[in-house]
Amino acid sequence: MRNDVRTRAGRRICPTVNWVSPRVSRQTINSIENGRYLPLLPRATAIARHFHTTAQDVLRSDGKEQ
Amino acid sequence: MMSYTTLGGHRRLAATITLVAGGAVAAATWVSGDHSWAIGIAAAFLVLAAVTYIWSGRTGDIAAVLRAGGDERQRGLDRDALALSAQATTVVAVVGAIVQIARTGDPGVFGLFCAVSGVTYAGGLLALRLRR
Repeated sequence: MRNDVRTRAGRRICPTVNWVSPRVSRQTINSIENGRYLPLLPRATAIARHFHTTAQDVLRSDGKEQ
Repeated sequence: MMSYTTLGGHRRLAATITLVAGGAVAAATWVSGDHSWAIGIAAAFLVLAAVTYIWSGRTGDIAAVLRAGGDERQRGLDRDALALSAQATTVVAVVGAIVQIARTGDPGVFGLFCAVSGVTYAGGLLALRLRR
């Protein structure tokens, strides 16, 4: 899976992490941004909501497992 | 600028476990008659508990695991590391049991470890499949 979190934000989302989700660490946001960690559905949904889109739109499969 | 959320957990948890375990080991050593070793072990675990308590107050992944808190990724790190540890322990137990059987005909304590590992795994698998 790949994700468009960084490109969608236009900048890194770390500084605004609290309103992406109330309980997420800086390290986890870094891992999501760098594609090392695929968030669970509730987290992906929260990120998608932040970008006014859907989780399916933010996280897309490139045919490889994480 | 917004700050990062504190991710909860119990800061004293790891330090308390270290103190209790260290106290038990030190007490057992004292009872066995080796008093100087017992004092040394107690001092070492005291230092370790202090380090653990200080580290638990930090914001990194390991600190979150020490607090038994953190987000789902950090809890996943803890779970995967625990599984890896269990696999390594089981491999050692199985190899140890085989070697002991070859040498003495009795697996000894390795057999107990193998039994606990196998029964726990099977029980866990049966219980968890009902929840997911």
